[in-house]
Amino acid sequence: MPLRRKLADLLALLFAGAATLFGLTWLVWILWTTLSRGAAALSPALFTEMTPPPGSTGGLLNAFYGSAVMVLLALAIGTPVGIAAGTYLAEHGRHSRLAAAVSFINDILLSAPSIVIGLFVYELVVRPSGHFSGFAGALALAMILLPIVVRTTDESLRLVPNQMREAAFALGLPAWRVTSRIIYKAALSGIVTGILLGLARIAGETAPLLFTALNNQFWSASIAQPLANVPVVIFQYAMSPYDEWHALAWAGALVLTLFVLGLNLIVRFFARKGSQ
Amino acid sequence: MIELLDRRADEAALSTAPAKIEVRGLDFFYGKTRALSGVDLSVPANAVTAIIGPSGCGKSTLLRTINRIYELYPDQRAHGEVMIDGRNVLDPRYPLSELRRCVGMVFQKPTPFATSIRKNVAFALSYYERLPKGALADRIEDALRQAALWDEVKDKLDTSALSLSGGQQQRLCIARTLAVRPEIILLDEPTSALDPISTAKIEELIHELRRQFTIVIVTHNMQQTARVSQRTAFFHLGELIEDGPTSQIFTNPRVERTQDYITGRFG
Repeated sequence: MPLRRKLADLLALLFAGAATLFGLTWLVWILWTTLSRGAAALSPALFTEMTPPPGSTGGLLNAFYGSAVMVLLALAIGTPVGIAAGTYLAEHGRHSRLAAAVSFINDILLSAPSIVIGLFVYELVVRPSGHFSGFAGALALAMILLPIVVRTTDESLRLVPNQMREAAFALGLPAWRVTSRIIYKAALSGIVTGILLGLARIAGETAPLLFTALNNQFWSASIAQPLANVPVVIFQYAMSPYDEWHALAWAGALVLTLFVLGLNLIVRFFARKGSQ
Repeated sequence: MIELLDRRADEAALSTAPAKIEVRGLDFFYGKTRALSGVDLSVPANAVTAIIGPSGCGKSTLLRTINRIYELYPDQRAHGEVMIDGRNVLDPRYPLSELRRCVGMVFQKPTPFATSIRKNVAFALSYYERLPKGALADRIEDALRQAALWDEVKDKLDTSALSLSGGQQQRLCIARTLAVRPEIILLDEPTSALDPISTAKIEELIHELRRQFTIVIVTHNMQQTARVSQRTAFFHLGELIEDGPTSQIFTNPRVERTQDYITGRFG
């Protein structure tokens, strides 16, 4: 190999290596800080006690509960609609203008700033009803989840080879049966991956909840009332001047990070299962 | 020699037998591109009819017209008549489900569904017929036996169909088609993705199935055509150039282009 090419190769390798190192440094730094500061604040009380008033100890039970309820509700709203819309795009609307328009708008929604979605739900639900609520929060999260599920469902269905569709249709089966029994099965790992990725995304969203679920210092199980949630509690506590609150914010951040990390590991598992 | 005479007699009888499929004045379009023009073809019952010709000549298109699978794509259109037992199946009023139950199709690449072997076979069957459990199991066994696959899979019916070899997958696709008891089977280059041993098994199978079904096979392989078919139709540039008994097409074609194609001068 001529020297010039060897040199170019070496330089490219160096740059690529440096860029990787640069990116990874921040990630490791963030993870390490979260882990060390968060682990110090971990205790059983975190999962059994309510968020405390300033100056006393407590946990994040109401915030975990609120987050779980809103995320699950968002899944319950966003997943069926998202899968149905993705199915329309991939299976029925391939040649239609409506599908092209839906697909384009979905892309816009996919990259919409989440605070805009929060404001939208504020106008849609919070203002008419006169108060913040867990339901409004779940709705905002569902709107963030929706375009992710639509896109990944659409793409995984398109990955199913057309021959399989033809083979199923050639048996004389109606479209709904072909889609529900054959095509979904073939695309399952991709669709589940999309839902899990969406779940990981909404679990950490803060902005859309500020205008919708707000927060709640006290235990409230009702989704019609303002609902405590992990991201907003972290935000509020991190901004506060109290050490106990800082520690809880770190602990909350750690649990949230581990949750998202765990979800991503499950996603990898599903994606690998699908590629086999 | 005697075999050849037998074959000739066999084939001659077919020429006068009533047609199972009668294609009349068939034109086919992909958007604005014409893929078939004015095709007239008779396909006799209980025989294997081979469709041959160079790539892009319209062989697969003809096959895809017979079960109207082309309708999945809105820019594809067929004009003309395809009569099966005297009824025009291209008539939009002809029920699609009934047509596709009567006309099974097996594709070039094996297309097992991502589920168990048993469910692959049961899938269409349990849609058409409400069978008690025992009867369903019998029908599944029958179909797998007919497709010469039973002995290889009888102990692992609940494993994934994707774990089978390519040749087994293709026979599973045939079993899946046979399970709903069709009358016509369309084979679109069924062995082109398979190894020689699997190919031989499928050819043997075609030979067996011929007794019960009307078979139309598209193939690129001249030897295969000679081995499995009684009638051959040669297509070129979207037109039917010549059709007749296979032995006649191969030994004494009427048209020069047929001769050129069969002897490998083009295509």
